[in-house]
Amino acid sequence: MTFRILTIASLTIREAARRRLVAALAAITVVMVGLSAWGFERLSHSHSLTSGESNLAVPQALILFMFMFSFVVALSASAMASPAVASEVESGVLLTVGARPIRRSEILVGKWLGLAVLLAGYAIAVSALEMGVVDAVSGYLPPSPVLITVFLFSEGLLLLTLALLLSTRLSSLAAGVIGIALFGAAWLAGVVGSLGSTFNINAMRTIGSVSRYVLPTDGLWHGAIYHLEPTSMMAERLSEGRNADPFFVHTGPSWYYLLWVSAWFVIVLVGSVISFERREL
Amino acid sequence: MSQTSSADHFARPFNGPGTGPPVPSSVPGGSEAESSQGDPGGRGSPAIHALGLHKRYGKTVAVASLSMSVGRGEVFGFLGPNGAGKTTVVKMLLGLVRPSGGEAMVLGAPIGDRETRRRIGYLPELFRFQPWLNAAEVLALHCRLLELPKRSWDQAVADSLRVSGLTDRSGDKVGGFSKGMQQRLGLGVALLGDPELVVLDEPTSALDPVGRHDMRQIIRGLRTRGKTVFLNTHLLAEAEQVCDRVAVLDKGVAIATGTLAELLGQHGRVRVKLGTVDGSCTKILSKFGAWQRDGDWIILERIENDSIPDLVAAIIGGGGRVEAVIPEHQSLEDRFLELLDER
Repeated sequence: MTFRILTIASLTIREAARRRLVAALAAITVVMVGLSAWGFERLSHSHSLTSGESNLAVPQALILFMFMFSFVVALSASAMASPAVASEVESGVLLTVGARPIRRSEILVGKWLGLAVLLAGYAIAVSALEMGVVDAVSGYLPPSPVLITVFLFSEGLLLLTLALLLSTRLSSLAAGVIGIALFGAAWLAGVVGSLGSTFNINAMRTIGSVSRYVLPTDGLWHGAIYHLEPTSMMAERLSEGRNADPFFVHTGPSWYYLLWVSAWFVIVLVGSVISFERREL
Repeated sequence: MSQTSSADHFARPFNGPGTGPPVPSSVPGGSEAESSQGDPGGRGSPAIHALGLHKRYGKTVAVASLSMSVGRGEVFGFLGPNGAGKTTVVKMLLGLVRPSGGEAMVLGAPIGDRETRRRIGYLPELFRFQPWLNAAEVLALHCRLLELPKRSWDQAVADSLRVSGLTDRSGDKVGGFSKGMQQRLGLGVALLGDPELVVLDEPTSALDPVGRHDMRQIIRGLRTRGKTVFLNTHLLAEAEQVCDRVAVLDKGVAIATGTLAELLGQHGRVRVKLGTVDGSCTKILSKFGAWQRDGDWIILERIENDSIPDLVAAIIGGGGRVEAVIPEHQSLEDRFLELLDER
C-alpha cells in the first residue's frame, strides 16, 4: 500500500517540477524576498524613526510580508490541488491508472502526500528566506521561526485538503475558485469576529468564532501572527487596546483548537477518499 | 506499429516467462473485493460472466440487464452503435463505474477485484496519458503500478515500445504525440504484464490503415497465445475479421449474442440460374421459401444454408437444369442493420 501511495506521490511531485510550477514559484519568491530585503534595509536604517519605533515597525512589516506569503501559499495550494483529480478525470488520464491494481484511496492519499511535500518545501523555503533576510538586514528574528513556518504550512495544507475534496466532485476551475473564495471569506469572517470582540457585538463575534471552526485557515494564520510578534510589540498593542487589528493577536491558538484542526484534516481527507471512491470514471 | 512493427511479437509471451508477478488467491485486509478462494486466479471460470448487469444514470438507462459470457481464449466482439452503452459495460467490468444492479465476474473474481486487475490490460476509448512524461516513462509508471519485478521493467518497456511502434519516440513527451501515437502507446500500456484478458475499447479509432492491420495481427497473436480479447467496437468489418463471437448492444440491451455464423444465421440468400423455369420448377422453388426473378436468375431469400444441396437435387429430380448456384452470405454489417431495424 505504501509503495503505491509513494508511486502516486512521486508522480505528483514530478509533475509539478516538469510543469515548471516549482521554478515559477522559486522565481517569484526570490523577487519578492529581494524587494522585501531592500524595504527592510531602508526601514531599519531610516533616520526618521527612533530605535523604539523601528523595533515596532520591523516586526509589523514582517507580519504584513508573511501575510502576503501566506496568501501565496494558500493560492498555490488551491491551484495545485484543484486540478489534481478533476483534470485527470476530465482528460481520461485516470482511466488507465484506475484500472490498475491500485485502490482509489491510494491514488488520493498519494496525490495529497505529493502536494503536501511540495507545499512544505515551499513554506519552509519562503519562511527561511524571508526571516533570514530580515534578520540579516535589520537584526530582527521572530521568537519562534519554526512555529511560524508550521502554521504557515498548516494553513496552506488545510486549503490544499479542501481543494482536493472539491476536486473529487467539481471541475478544476470550480474547485479552485471555491477554495480561494472560502479562504478569503474565512479571513474576512476572522476580521469581523475581531471587530465584534472589540465593540462587544455578539453576532459579529459569533461569525468569527464559527468560521474559525468551519474553515480554520484564519485560526492558523492567527497562530502564525502570534509567533511573529515580539513581546515588546504585544505589550504596546495591549496597552493601546487595539484588538480589532487583523494583523495582531494577543493569544495563540489553544490546544483544543489545534486538536480540532487535526480532526478537521482527518474528516476532510476521509471525506475526499469516500467521495473519490464513489466517483465514476 | 507501422514504424518498427512487430505485431508478430505476440506469438511469444510479452514479458517472457516468469516475469509476471505471482497472483495470490486472496489478499486479506483489502477494502475492495479480493480474488476468489479455491480456484487461484479463477482459471476454470469464463473470462467474463455477467448476469443482469444494469446501469442507470438518473432516469436514463445506459445498460439494461445485460447477461453474457466470454470464454477463455476467445476474441469477443462487443458491437453496437454510438451511445449503445458499450463503454459503460467495459467500465463496469473494470470497476471504474459502479453497476446499478446485477453482478459480473471477471477472470473468476467479482468486478472491481483489485488483484484481478493485475491480469487485465485495458486500452480505453479515451486514451490520454500524462503529457509531461515521455513514452518510456509512461510505460515505466505502469510497470510500477502493476508491481512488476523491477528487473523486468527495461525489457517490458522495450517490448511495449516495439509492439506499439514507438521505439524511436521513446524519449519524446506524450503531450507532443498525435492521437494515433497516443493510441499506440495505449496499446503498449494495455499489453504490459502479459495480461490474461485484454480489453480494447475502439482500439483503431485513431489508427491509419497500416495501424489497423497491425492491430488485427496483434489481436490474432493474442488469441494464438490463449489470451482473451474483449473488443469493443462499432467497426463491424474489424469485428468480422478477428472475432470468434460477438454480442450486439443497442440502447443498453443485448439484442443478439453468438458466433458469427450463429449471428449471421443459417439463413442466407442464394442466386440460382436455371435452364427453364416451368410450373413444376416454381412449385419446387416455393417449397424452399419465397423467391423472385432477377433477369435470368432466381433469388431465394432466407434459405437455410444446409438446404441448398437439397434445392439443387430437387430441381434436378423434377427434370430441371441447374446452370449456376451462388450462395450470398450476409455481411455482419447487413445483419447488424437488420437487427437494429427489427427493434
